[in-house]
Amino acid sequence: MIPAELRSKLAAAVGVDAISEHAPRRLDGVDIDVTLRPSDGESLARSLMSLGAVGLSAVVLGGGNRVGVGNLPDREDLVWLSTERLSGVSEFDPDDGVCQVHAGTTLAQVRERVLPGGWELPLDASGAGATVGGVLAAAAVGPRALGFGRPRDLVLGLQVVLASGERTRCGGRVVKNVTGYDLNKLYTGSFGTLCVIESAWLRLRPRPEEIRVVEALDPELPGLAERCMAAARRFSVRAAVLVAASGATRLVLELAGDAASVARDAAWLEAQVGARPAAPDAVERAAAFASPETGGLRFRIDALPTRFADTWEALCSSSDRVVAYPGLGLLYAELSVESGDEDELHAVFQRAARVAGRAGGGFLCESAPAWAKRGRDVFGAGEANRRLARSLKQRFDPGGVLSPGRFAGCV
Amino acid sequence: MNPGAGRPPARPAPKKYNSPVMSTLIDALVSVVGEQACLRRPEELLVYECDGLTLHTGTPGVVVFPSCADHVVAIVKACREHGASFVPRGAGTGLSGGAVANEGSVVIECSRMNRILHVSPEDRCAVVEPGVINADISRAVVGHGLFYAPDPSSQFACTIGGNIAENAGGPHTLKYGTTTNHVLALDLVLPDGELVTLGSDTGWSAGYDLVGAVVGSEGTLGVVTKASVRLEEIPESVETLLVIFPDVVTACRTVGCIIGDGLVPAALEIVDKRTIAAVEASVYAAGLPTDAGAVLIVELDGPRHSLPPQVERVREIAGANGATRVAVARDDAERQRFWRARKGAFGAMGRLAPDLYVHDAVVPRSRLPEVLEKICAIGDRYGLKLSNVFHAGDGNLHPNISFDRRDSDELARVMAAGSEILETCVEAGGVISGEHGIGSEKRDFMSLLFSEGDLDAMRRLRASFDPDCVCNPGKIFPSTRFCVEANPKARGYDRVPLDA
Repeated sequence: MIPAELRSKLAAAVGVDAISEHAPRRLDGVDIDVTLRPSDGESLARSLMSLGAVGLSAVVLGGGNRVGVGNLPDREDLVWLSTERLSGVSEFDPDDGVCQVHAGTTLAQVRERVLPGGWELPLDASGAGATVGGVLAAAAVGPRALGFGRPRDLVLGLQVVLASGERTRCGGRVVKNVTGYDLNKLYTGSFGTLCVIESAWLRLRPRPEEIRVVEALDPELPGLAERCMAAARRFSVRAAVLVAASGATRLVLELAGDAASVARDAAWLEAQVGARPAAPDAVERAAAFASPETGGLRFRIDALPTRFADTWEALCSSSDRVVAYPGLGLLYAELSVESGDEDELHAVFQRAARVAGRAGGGFLCESAPAWAKRGRDVFGAGEANRRLARSLKQRFDPGGVLSPGRFAGCV
Repeated sequence: MNPGAGRPPARPAPKKYNSPVMSTLIDALVSVVGEQACLRRPEELLVYECDGLTLHTGTPGVVVFPSCADHVVAIVKACREHGASFVPRGAGTGLSGGAVANEGSVVIECSRMNRILHVSPEDRCAVVEPGVINADISRAVVGHGLFYAPDPSSQFACTIGGNIAENAGGPHTLKYGTTTNHVLALDLVLPDGELVTLGSDTGWSAGYDLVGAVVGSEGTLGVVTKASVRLEEIPESVETLLVIFPDVVTACRTVGCIIGDGLVPAALEIVDKRTIAAVEASVYAAGLPTDAGAVLIVELDGPRHSLPPQVERVREIAGANGATRVAVARDDAERQRFWRARKGAFGAMGRLAPDLYVHDAVVPRSRLPEVLEKICAIGDRYGLKLSNVFHAGDGNLHPNISFDRRDSDELARVMAAGSEILETCVEAGGVISGEHGIGSEKRDFMSLLFSEGDLDAMRRLRASFDPDCVCNPGKIFPSTRFCVEANPKARGYDRVPLDA
């Protein structure tokens, strides 16, 4: 909690319109009861400058779906920095298929704006009220990343505010650009630890002629994972979700593209995995297993395609709930640990690291109670590159204003 | 009788360095790579004084050829111990002076690190050394039905290390993306000599996206010694169309309509009238009508059954925009002929003048027609031979100026026109490079686009990897202020007394 004197100083610095006190909202055991709500870029810059001057730190809050992802913060004198008032699509160019969006704009708002122009927003993250800024900061993906690509591939340019309060931009609005360093890539997925995203230029995708959702309930188990991989590689399949829960297995696929390709792939999927037409929201419902807001201890494992089947089986043998995105190589598993049982917790993290190692990838513990994070790096990051990460943090946020300690390597 | 007859002329003695620093550095480098892999005779160094942009030159102090990552580590450490800056280099086909040494720098030439180490067809991944030639990756994996998508015009000569440095593109990046979309992991020797692995073969990794930061950093953040690259499935079918237009502006409008219609071609390339004339008069002649104002090459790929409707749609759009003829390649030979007009363009320009300045800028696709008109007007106003061949689908312009550098007045006009072209593109919402990079060529144009604060954010990244500014100094950032002002220690590195 923040001492009253510092609250007053902060309020005086940012202006009473941009700050509110409220009932505590808990983050990893820290009660945060002050929220800054800048209304524009200047106000955001002033907020960050003021935080630095007063000596406080902030956790950036978008839709709030992924704000729990991260290590325990280094400090307890934290405030929320909400992007909710930084909202709106400031420019949409239907001829070029690009748009500029403020960070606090929800994905739904952007979709609503661009769809009538014949374009769709290729960001697909779960959670109600997910914002563009939050999705980019977390590099969050949903199953449609199979067809959409990852957030890093869709960002053309960013306007950001550094921890010092300096407003800077990188990239541009054009679809091809090698003018200077690609800071878009550095900032995307940095979980708000290097800067706060103010707005983004995004590349859109043409709206497909047809979208169809199919699913296979309890598909035959022999070779299931391999067949799912093959299904995910069909031309028009842009999302594939494989779910194992309570002894039942389900494969949901979304097909998109020209009508002929969709029909051809739907026929192939019916013949190969018994996939039948499903409700339009079947992908969301299936992927919801993987969203972090449901609580518990949840791991994300990334696997090479050749290790996907083994990884799937390994996780299914130790978890009641496994959700995977074949084709993307992402698998999510919920593992239960008795509260406070450090030995069991240690064993769970060890198992996750072992499975990830065999999968040829790494792991991220997306959701865990605060006690389980203590003394651990939930990103599964080893010592490798920690020096570079610290060097970056030191240069972009030397005062530790932005989520200190919460990112990979505890930077 | 001439006693020397029949023998090769005696090679001049290696350059003598009076500087004790350089002499001991040379000794250290020779001890790492051997005498034969350490060039330092003036005539040997001459080859490395420029890259594909011959207007910018800088003679290296020495050129070393590492064969493995251990060599690179030892070379970088030796440079650090002796206070020398160094420049990673691939095939030297870059077009922005990015691989050109500051006078006296050590060039680390990676062309001997040219092995394809591993191919995993099921994982859609290949692990290669930096000196592997771009096209050789696709050759190596074609049997698996795969290819490596980024295809710069120099793909039969340029190396993956250079492609990574410049984030190279090419005609097919419209659909498949540039190098940054195809690099999964990197081994990188940092400027202090530490070898690190960034990213992972799965494409996901904990922490900051350091692969994304390094790709396109023009060799200023370290020396790449290994790369895992993503492979794509060869499409089932390809259709290539050659569309003839009365003028280049109409061709540009057609490109906008194709994109706006929701089609996603693999490539959309425009060749203008002057380029057509040069190509048709050259060995690259493709049978194009020399009275055409411009040709547009449209390539569509995907499942066989999905392409005929797309071909028809392109025909309709082109016709509605005033195309005078649409030809669809009937077979692979004809497809290659169509592409010859595009890929042979730069070679054919050699017929127009002794020198060629290939510009590179990007504008929003919808602004192409007006920007192109302005660029042509700039060329006319300066009395220059300006032609255009470009990646229209990406809005990536390549205004080419043919000139003779021996004519100082013409050279001055070339440079002035180039500046105006870049300013015009930026005013239209564009940027000053789409695929060639900034290098030494455009560093002083960076302020057209970025504020001092924007550049300072980039400097923070640079300093995180290379606080002493020893790795390819003098690139990207305007003037020399970065190295000197931000890193006083760098003064020494930039001024090693090589020839004293």
